[in-house]
Formats: sequence, C-alpha cells, structure tokens
Amino acid sequence: MNCQKAQRLFGDLARERLAPELAAEVRHHLTDCTDCRVLEQRAARLQRLLALKRYERPAPQYLDNFLTEFHRRLLAETQPRMGWWQRIDGLLSTGHTLAWRHGFASAMGIILAVGLMWMGLREANDLGSTDQMAAANSPLTVTPVGASAPQSSPLTAPSQLASMLPVTPVDYESAPTESVIVPSPLTRTESAAPQYVLDRISVTPANYEVARVYF
Amino acid sequence: MIAMKVTGKFKPGGEVRRAMAAPSPAGPSSVEHQVDLQLEDDETLVARTQKGDSAAFDVLIGRYKERLYATVYHMTANHEDANDLVQDTFIKAFKSIESFRGRSSFYTWIYRIAVNRTINFLKRRKNRNQYSLDDLESSIQTDPDLVEMMSHVTPRREAGLTELQEKLNEALQKLSESHRAVVTMHDIQGMTHADIAKVLKCSEGTVRSRLFYARQQLQGLLSEYL
Repeated sequence: MNCQKAQRLFGDLARERLAPELAAEVRHHLTDCTDCRVLEQRAARLQRLLALKRYERPAPQYLDNFLTEFHRRLLAETQPRMGWWQRIDGLLSTGHTLAWRHGFASAMGIILAVGLMWMGLREANDLGSTDQMAAANSPLTVTPVGASAPQSSPLTAPSQLASMLPVTPVDYESAPTESVIVPSPLTRTESAAPQYVLDRISVTPANYEVARVYF
Repeated sequence: MIAMKVTGKFKPGGEVRRAMAAPSPAGPSSVEHQVDLQLEDDETLVARTQKGDSAAFDVLIGRYKERLYATVYHMTANHEDANDLVQDTFIKAFKSIESFRGRSSFYTWIYRIAVNRTINFLKRRKNRNQYSLDDLESSIQTDPDLVEMMSHVTPRREAGLTELQEKLNEALQKLSESHRAVVTMHDIQGMTHADIAKVLKCSEGTVRSRLFYARQQLQGLLSEYL
C-alpha cells in the first residue's frame, strides 16, 4: 500500500469502518512509515476536534414553535394565490376569531368617536359662522359715548363681549357728548330709501268690523 | 391502527389550503390520530400526506427537524439562517411531495433538498459571514476527547471552549460549500459515504476525495490545535 492510498483511509480507520483485511493493511503501512503515522495522528485529532461541534445545540425551546412557524410561513407563501374569501375563511378557522372580534370592535369604536367629534366641530363652526354673518349684517354699530363704563352682564366677561361686538375704540376726552352713530360698511346711506320687510309683503289689512249676523 | 380514514384525491393547492386552515387539529380524536401517526414509518406518512393528511407531514417534521437543523447549522454557523433554511426545506418538500416517487428514502430526499438549498444560500452569502453560534452543551466538559485535547495544550495554544468553538467554525467557513457539506455530514453528523453520495447524487469516490482535501485544508487551518 502506498502513502497516498493509506492517507485516504485514515478517517475510516479511526471510525472502524474499514474491512478487517484493509484495516490490517493500513496499520501495517503505519508501522513502517513515520510520515504517515504523524499524519494519521493529526487526522485523528482533527476528527475528535470536529466531533466537538456536536455539542453545539440551540436552546431547548428554540425549536418548540417550529411547527407553528412552518404553518404560518406556508400560509404566507400561498396567500397571494388565494382569493380574499379563502383567506378570510382560513384566518377565521385558525382560531383568530376572538382576536378579530376585539380588533373590529375597537376599530369601530374609534371610528364612531372620531365621527362624533367631527360632527360636533362642524356644528360649532356652523354656529360661529352664523354669528359672524349676523354681526356683519347688523345695520348699525352703536357706540355709547359719554356714558359710564359699559356695563357687562354678570355672565359675560368684558373681553368676551368685546370680541363679540365690533366696537371702535373711542377717545372719551375729545369725543362729543351726544351719541355718535358710526355707520358700518353695510349700513345704508340716507340717499337710499329705507326699505322695510313689510314693504315686500303684501298683507291684507285685517277687518275689525263686526260681522253681520243673520238670524 | 389508523384511526382516521383518508379520503379524497391529493391536490397540491387544495392540500396547502387545508393544511393552513387546520395546522394542528384539536380534540381527542386528533390527538389519537397524532399518536397513531407517530407509530407509522416514513413511507406511510408520505403516502398519507400525498392523500391530503397534513397531520402526517407534521409528524415527519417532528421526526427530522432537529437533524436537519444540526446539519444546516454546522454548514452556516448561524442559527437564524439555519432555522430559516430548514423551514424553507420543509415548505419546499410539502409543496412538491406529490413528485416524491419513493425511489430514495424520505430522509435522503429531504436531506438533499436541505443541503442543496444551504449550498445555494452559502454561495449567495459568500462575502457575508456572520456567526451566531449555538450554545455549547455543558456535557462537553466531560467529553473524553476534549479532556484529552486540553491536556495536550501548551500555554501558547491554550484556549477557552468559546474560542475553540469560534476557531473551529471559522475554519469550516473557509472550506468550499461542497467540501463543508461533506465534512459536516461525515465527520460531524456521522453519515456513511454511501448515504452522503445519495444525498449529493455523486459517487462514493467523489465523497472520499472531497473529504480528503477538506481535511487537509482543515489541518492547515487548525494546526495550532492539532
């Protein structure tokens, strides 16, 4: 047996996987060849070193969820090819019903709350715009002059009142003592004939005569 | 004794959907069914899976997941990659189990899928070696080989177990993918040349040759520990 052939059989010799005759032949070569003997010892050590890798193991619980993970991945991989009704059916039948119910109820609750808040804000805005329009449409803005400090309602703060009424600041020292009527931009001028609401309504005057009674 | 009657013809798509819909059936009858399946051999379980019994495939997963994980882990030196690859292997096997004709054992067939996928993965990952090594079992401390090796260490070579583990994995990662696969299956997993040849679809001579060159390379890389 030559060295090359013997060296190829070192691994099997160490694992006792060689036929008895072949093993005896390799051993006989080893007694004669020092180089091969050294190499055989190194090969045996290498095998023992590699065998230590068997002690590398994952944590005991690492593969516990392997089957669950397998089914989850299988579902994910095949999902695009399924119809939406099949996906829903699959999800409902894999025990997610309770979680879905809770999620659905929470989502609906949030949507309802947001909707109510939005409606409330919208109504408040509508009211605010109506007040502004009413204020803008008022024919006159009256500023009392010469009177004492404006009396405020006990329920209304002066600052709130000021913000509600478009009051022009007045210099009380230089202003005349009579009331001053400050025309608002929308106030009609005197050149225009005043119009009243009743002008546009044709009302039949009421008859107050006592109706005749025939017996 | 088989408790559940298998009905219907196997349809890949339908089977996948059924497996998703009922991954692990609950209830006393399904538990009995699982227990019965545990006693079946691989061929029967494969035949049942082909007929639409996904629980049979679950038993096959339970039977081989640890061995496959160990092999893939020793090739990748990263437990997350190993877990992903083994998951992919089982998914691939489940999807194509209809094409399994039983010419080789199920173990050889799924092993082949796992090793080929791992080799392809390693080729893609070529320049990105990230180790995330599994813990060493505490029983390694009493291993006679380790004790013998540690008794020979010189102060220069003295190394802790963790360092030894890292050096070993580094050396393995320097081998080519095919050489690493052979070393893992033979020297770590203890498979025979014939089995490795079936998995890799090559001759036993090729397996021996790859082992020889891989060991030579490893001896050079780990010379300070030999």
